Amino acid sequence: MAHAVEPGHHGEAEYTTTGLNHRKLLMWVFLGSDCLFFGTLIATYMVYRGQSLNGPYPIDIIDVPITTISTFVLLCSSFSMVQALAATTANDQRGIKLWLLATAFLGAIFIGFQVYEFNAFKNEGLTLGTNLFGASFFTLTGFHGAHVTLGIIWLLSLYVIACKGRLGPATALDVEIAGLYWHFVDIVWIVIFTLLYLIAGFDRGPEPEAALLVPSALGALL
Amino acid sequence: MTSAPEHHESRHPTFMQYVTIAIVLFVITIVEFLIILPEDWQGQAWTLAPLIILSCIKFAIVIMFYMHLKFDNQLFSWIFLAGLALGLAVVIAVLGLFFALNGAPRAYAVANAIPYVHVEKGEEHEESVQAELPVVTTPADTTQPSTGAGTTQTGSTDSPAPAGAVSASVGQEVFLGVGTCGTCHMITGIAPGGVGPDLNKIGSEAASRKPGLSAAAYIEESIRSPEVFVAEGISNALPGLMTQVLIDSLGLTDDQIASLVEFLLEQQ
Repeated sequence: MAHAVEPGHHGEAEYTTTGLNHRKLLMWVFLGSDCLFFGTLIATYMVYRGQSLNGPYPIDIIDVPITTISTFVLLCSSFSMVQALAATTANDQRGIKLWLLATAFLGAIFIGFQVYEFNAFKNEGLTLGTNLFGASFFTLTGFHGAHVTLGIIWLLSLYVIACKGRLGPATALDVEIAGLYWHFVDIVWIVIFTLLYLIAGFDRGPEPEAALLVPSALGALL
Repeated sequence: MTSAPEHHESRHPTFMQYVTIAIVLFVITIVEFLIILPEDWQGQAWTLAPLIILSCIKFAIVIMFYMHLKFDNQLFSWIFLAGLALGLAVVIAVLGLFFALNGAPRAYAVANAIPYVHVEKGEEHEESVQAELPVVTTPADTTQPSTGAGTTQTGSTDSPAPAGAVSASVGQEVFLGVGTCGTCHMITGIAPGGVGPDLNKIGSEAASRKPGLSAAAYIEESIRSPEVFVAEGISNALPGLMTQVLIDSLGLTDDQIASLVEFLLEQQ
């Protein structure tokens, strides 16, 4: 209704019909649509779960303890991300750079774990084309890894901007929007970790009893 | 709706609250890990509920506090939750399509698979056995559903010339052609197989598989009613793959089955 005015980028007035910042609203719309994107990939994984006719199967290669560590790393990075935003609104220049760099670094460690995992899987004989498990696993986790990589690049460019002293309370929205994206990548991983590792990570090959278990387990999921 | 929140900076959590949130997230992840730590519990159906509930709690904590949805304008929440709900609906719809309506996707795929026969443009059907496939072999034939096909514009007739005779050589044609047996079952030098049980020695082993059935009767029963009896100790035996639905969909004639039996009896 009313055309509310919010301080926009670099403090200029910005006219909106919602009273909300356009860029922030755009990010939320994007994140909502990204839910659909990952939803389809997760659904594909669950449909193909237990349908591979040849190995390696999840039980042969999924390493839950290592992935739990990388999950911790990603959770830590979410914490450092909120600290980066807090430092920005408080105009703590040293804090901004420190926390942004820490977040990007933790993200890079997570990607390092993923590179290690993908490489180990390849050495065990699982590639994108080996079986349905490989195809759906690499597609889903690979797209998540791509999201994390993009986030790291985003954080590093913010770090460069921070080094020039251009981040502060007036531009806190720049950090906040990057943070929204970063936390979203984190929650997607929460879902992937639970479904692909904790729940489906122990799936065996198509032995009679396992083959019968899979549809009933998925039925329970619904 | 129109009152723009001017207070939202002040309501953000404090440092200590963020630390508390991080610790809660850590503890939940540790609990999840402990749930699947005992080998007996791994992959058990009952672990689904606690694992999903715990990860939903983590999900909610992150979007409420780290992403400030709890403190921000509600429109952000609605937009994101709408996307999330749509995403969930897609997941449920896809899983429902495959599991609620048609059972396991592989069984559905096998039951509904249409054998593919490659036909060069203008090429006559040399083996008229193939003309009996319930498959549309030319793009121009799309109006005809899978009702025995055959009368296509290539001019092929669907009179099954050799199908009248019962012989091992006809059996081999059926094995590789209309019966599609060779797609899964291996016979050295004839079919690569590799998916289902190896049939190299079926001719000599068939008599001892099921008490009271001769070799020929056993093989015939295994073809006509594949689910009635599954031999034990056979490698690559995949329950649910060789089904009655599959064999019925092939529409084999009695002569074709008799030829298959002849052919398989020769595999000593």
